[in-house]
Amino acid sequence: MIQLFNWFRRGPLERDFDRELQYHFDRRVADLTAAGIPEPDARRRVAVELGISQVREEVRDVWLTRWLRDSLYDFRYSARSFLRSPGFTAATLLSLALGIGATTAIYSLVDQVILHALPVRDPARLVLVDWKGDHVTGGFGSWNLMSYPICRDLQQQTRFFDGVLCRAEIQVNLSAGGDPTPVAAEIVSGSYFPVLGVGPALGRVIEEADDAAPGAAPVVVLSNEYWQAKFGGAADVVGRTVLINQHPMTVIGVAAASFHGVDVGAVPALWIPASMYAEAIPGSADLLRAPDRWLQILARLRPDLTPAHAQAGLQPWFKGWLQDNMRRPGFPAITADRRRRYLASSLELTSAPQGHSALRRSLSQPLWFLFAATGVLLGLACLNVAGLFLARGSARGREIGTRLALGASRGRIGRQLLADSVLLALAGGVLGLAVAPLAIRALIAFLPRDGAATGLRGSLSPSLLAFTFLASLTAGLLSGIAPALHAGGASLIGSLRERAGTAFGGVRLRKCIVTLQVAFSLILVIGAALFVRTLTGLLAKGPGFQTSGILTFAIAPVQNGYSREAAARLVRRLDQEVRALPATRNSAAARFGFLTGGSWSDPITIQADRRIVTGDVNLNAVSPGFFSTLGVRILAGRDFDARDSRPPGERGHRSVIVNEAFVKRYLAGRDPLGIPIAKGSGPDVKADTVIVGVCSTFNYRGLRDDSEQAFFPMFEGDDAGATFYIDVRGAPEQAIPSIRQIVRQADPRLPILWFRTLDDQVNRSVSTERLLAVLSGSFGALALLLSLIGIYGVMSFVVARRTREIGIRLALGATGGSAIRLVLRDAVAMIVAGMAIALPCVAVLGRLVQSQLFGVTATDPATIATAALVLAAGALTAAFIPAWRASNVSPTDALRLE
Amino acid sequence: MPSPRFPIPQGTLDMLILQILSLEPAHGYGMAQRLEQISRSVVQVNQGSLYPALHRLQQKGWLRAEWKQSETGREAKFYSLTAAGRRQLAIEKDSWARLSDAVNLIFEEGSR
Repeated sequence: MIQLFNWFRRGPLERDFDRELQYHFDRRVADLTAAGIPEPDARRRVAVELGISQVREEVRDVWLTRWLRDSLYDFRYSARSFLRSPGFTAATLLSLALGIGATTAIYSLVDQVILHALPVRDPARLVLVDWKGDHVTGGFGSWNLMSYPICRDLQQQTRFFDGVLCRAEIQVNLSAGGDPTPVAAEIVSGSYFPVLGVGPALGRVIEEADDAAPGAAPVVVLSNEYWQAKFGGAADVVGRTVLINQHPMTVIGVAAASFHGVDVGAVPALWIPASMYAEAIPGSADLLRAPDRWLQILARLRPDLTPAHAQAGLQPWFKGWLQDNMRRPGFPAITADRRRRYLASSLELTSAPQGHSALRRSLSQPLWFLFAATGVLLGLACLNVAGLFLARGSARGREIGTRLALGASRGRIGRQLLADSVLLALAGGVLGLAVAPLAIRALIAFLPRDGAATGLRGSLSPSLLAFTFLASLTAGLLSGIAPALHAGGASLIGSLRERAGTAFGGVRLRKCIVTLQVAFSLILVIGAALFVRTLTGLLAKGPGFQTSGILTFAIAPVQNGYSREAAARLVRRLDQEVRALPATRNSAAARFGFLTGGSWSDPITIQADRRIVTGDVNLNAVSPGFFSTLGVRILAGRDFDARDSRPPGERGHRSVIVNEAFVKRYLAGRDPLGIPIAKGSGPDVKADTVIVGVCSTFNYRGLRDDSEQAFFPMFEGDDAGATFYIDVRGAPEQAIPSIRQIVRQADPRLPILWFRTLDDQVNRSVSTERLLAVLSGSFGALALLLSLIGIYGVMSFVVARRTREIGIRLALGATGGSAIRLVLRDAVAMIVAGMAIALPCVAVLGRLVQSQLFGVTATDPATIATAALVLAAGALTAAFIPAWRASNVSPTDALRLE
Repeated sequence: MPSPRFPIPQGTLDMLILQILSLEPAHGYGMAQRLEQISRSVVQVNQGSLYPALHRLQQKGWLRAEWKQSETGREAKFYSLTAAGRRQLAIEKDSWARLSDAVNLIFEEGSR
């Protein structure tokens, strides 16, 4: 370190040393002359004695190790030569900056979503406890769902765990003085904060005592962000009372600033103990004792255990637990066959230092693809820079030859060229870093706004800086290695003999580089074409119902203190009032929203000529007129009407409408109308609901899903909330204020969860596909551009070298056309070779991306042919320009070059 | 031209410099002369090689240097030992003593 510092004060050091040596020199000369030696002789003798230039070099080596000093001089020399050729520098810098910037931006998301460990104590020991097998019991939430009782029972397994926590993501209405607003929250066991080792920034966090008994502690802990944003970081927030779903609760503290929950995608505004489930999740069952699954379980392994050990060790206990669980109140009655499958279940422990995240589940595969694509793009940029360096190396052939002749070692020259590319790549990295935050924010904007991506940041982290530095260094070494090796191997005599301008070639090396570029870019272009076709295919197909001109909004009255009966009355009233608006053409409501990714699903028991129990069927409850509002065809039977609605208080369904897919799968060959079915799969289920209609199949969870569906009538006195669909006349946005007005009049304190057009909802549902299509599309275009530049460059170079040869051919009577063919033959060879490399790679890589595609296979011949054609056409055009120039070579000019 | 003096053994120059400076601060030329005197012209020190050694020892923190008026009235760069330098000298003296004892032992063994 001191040595590097010396580099910057080498001026003063040199002057100081000169003075020191001068003193020695003068004193010695004076002594010698005093002894009778004439001064000129004395001076000569002292100079020899001291060996001044040798000593000076040795002292410099002390100040700064030789290789370090040389490298620094190399970098300085490189920087100066770059400043002298700004065009070249800009071209190389830009392509490297693009490659590094793109890689950095994608890596940032990879790091945040996939790799980053939770900011908790010793995250490496956290495991996710999941259920493998048939869990029989129902549930609600995202993935890896478990029941609260099993979490409690796992906490007794201290042989394996230092602590077990459970948590679920919920949405609650929060009011702190003002109107209630829906916020994301995490409902957690009392062990949550202690097991994670997260403390408070203010006050205290939720403790075991807060979760001791149902309703034990009406308390919440705020997240640091929410505290800053909504309470202005007020220190007296502790002890304040806020309303959660209209229930008063006390703020007991603010969590540590760095902690954002265990899900990277969803930043909770607050944490609430599981003991308050009745208030936090209105209308729920007895969740602390029931076997319903609604939470994820994370556990802290004992230090000496691996997940596999603990998993195996837990198995005997879990066998017994499964038996006990069947006796729990609320456990459904099941058939013997189902019981066998249930009892064969096991627990699965997976290492989870990054916590649990629904976002990671949906995004990790696309992100790895994009990361690989940026890697290829960066490789392409490196190849481009290597090609440019080779071209420059030939222009510098004489300089290098001269330096070799003066005694520079080949290693030394190679190092100089490597310094060139490393310096350039580092500068490109800095440039890439400068635009990275913008790029990351742009990437995050692709993801659906609500909740999902709120935890992602566009800022630079130390790990990101380290990654960019490494990527730049690698890029620099990669793009410099070919020119450096080439310079090291060139013949000295040859390079000195050649005239400036033609110089030594590296043509073969450059052709290899271009061939590789063609291969890389073909892979990226095919990938881009596949993802673009997936997106356009999905959008063109649509969800199977009408989307244009339809507005949708959602409310959850039970989260605002409503009973289920009151909520149902409100939904019915709003439905009638919205329907009566002049702008409304048609309007309907559903219990759950469509295309949101979630669904309500359950098996169905069909009592046809024999009893059939289906797999999970997606369910919903809809109001009369729902199908006509969304333009879904009723293929047989009828839509719901007033006959199907039951008076409040009366339970059970009277009628059901199933979709075509349901009929095809379970009722093929029968007349579905009139067949009695029921929700549930147990032997005690009584099929008493009659199929009154069959609708065409449309998408429920997302555009890809073509599931079996069954719809029950709404307005049966148990609607906790509703999503409204309104077909409006004119521009949908203009109708929003009057609809908001209706909701406000019905209950001024009821928040609207979302309000958007159905087109917007469709677009949100394909955000991942859009991310993939847009990014891979731009990467493909960039790759194409880079390889075209590469081909153009190498062909121009070839033409320049062969000017004389072509001139002679032309002088001897060859036509311009034959000159063009001569040059194009080279280009075609490179393009064909590149494709020959790329196609097998596409076949292999295709298998990996297939699951992300829709309506097209990864090896779709038409797509691949089109991509190859586009690439070939572009490449030939790029090669044609220098070829055409060759055909116009004037023989006299070409010969005069001699 | 064969020299009656033998060149200084590798690595001992540092030790000699530290030894000289342990007596009193000195500049480069003074040290060169003192080396000649002390070694009674038996050991040959290339005057130039003194300087890389001095700078190396300074970088290691064993010496400190300052410009002071010399005996001729001109400013010269005087080196002196730091505390770390003193410790280093003790270590080197000790290991030298052990080395020469060992070598002597082996020679005596051979001549017996």
